[in-house]
Amino acid sequence: MTRSSNETWTVTIVVPEDSSLDEAGETYDLEVGADETILTAARSAGVWLPADCQQGWCTTCAARLVDGDVVHPNARRYYDEDDEAGYILPCTAKPRTDTTVVVDQYDDFLEFRAANDRPPGNSKLDS
Amino acid sequence: MSDGKEHGSGSVEPGDTSKRVGAEVIRERGVDPEELREKLIDAIGAEFTTYYYYTNLRMHLAGEEDYKEITEDARLEDRAHFELVVPRIYELEGSLPNDIRDFADRASCPDAEVPTPMDDNGGFDTSDLEVEDILEVLLEAERCAIRTWSEICDMTRGADPRTYDMAQRILNEEMDHEAWFIELLSKERDDEINPAGHFARGEPGDAPYSTNNRFNDSA
Repeated sequence: MTRSSNETWTVTIVVPEDSSLDEAGETYDLEVGADETILTAARSAGVWLPADCQQGWCTTCAARLVDGDVVHPNARRYYDEDDEAGYILPCTAKPRTDTTVVVDQYDDFLEFRAANDRPPGNSKLDS
Repeated sequence: MSDGKEHGSGSVEPGDTSKRVGAEVIRERGVDPEELREKLIDAIGAEFTTYYYYTNLRMHLAGEEDYKEITEDARLEDRAHFELVVPRIYELEGSLPNDIRDFADRASCPDAEVPTPMDDNGGFDTSDLEVEDILEVLLEAERCAIRTWSEICDMTRGADPRTYDMAQRILNEEMDHEAWFIELLSKERDDEINPAGHFARGEPGDAPYSTNNRFNDSA
């Protein structure tokens, strides 16, 4: 199904119970435009998710895709194995269907990147 | 408490060099000094790599001497940011990575590469290299730095005045840099006048907010 770029998708943001974020245990449904990033939509809605570079590089914002589909057209470091393992970078991820993501997965993602010999995994974990 | 003076004692024993009060006071105020110092390493990794990459970018602004000079200002100021924060990392019991590849990999901002591929001779294929593309790389690098230092300001505000002071001074200059490149890219790409309110820094790399003690004439 093709939608025009002014249409929106529902993105459900799940903040894990054990997250250190103030929103731990909360779930939010956001309407996110096809040309909007999940991070931007969340922050605009008052859900201040972690992020740093916002260019798909530092991985601070890493999240898990539970359901749905996103694209990362502008991410600077996003690999096929990230996609296959269901990790996304909400700072550059744009929904293409209704989507559910679990946020605040940075530590797990660093381990994953390290196991796949991708930056910044080992350079961070070995420090 | 010694002699009734509130700050005369604390959790670190007199003469104990295995701990640092400079880190413990931050912890007492709710910031994890280890997390902070790692974030600072990431942040100055970006400053250092930007210093390197801007060398390439400014050289490829051939014939655009005004753009070149402004890029040089930003380049040297980014180096000043690196120099400013390095001692803070050691104060927080951290260190720079031994391997510069590790340092670059963990930099909190993307590589600011010349926006054209290398050619077969080891140089850049400059046939399609556009000034506006270089300015866009510069602009986005500055924006990433703004996000990074804003994050560090948020993290340290009210808890670590020493790091906060450094971060907000660096942030001042990064915001200057963004305004410069918005002005230049607006004119170059869109033929729009979008002033930065800037003329010149004085000497290249003046770093008016972030330079503490100049250790030589180049920093």
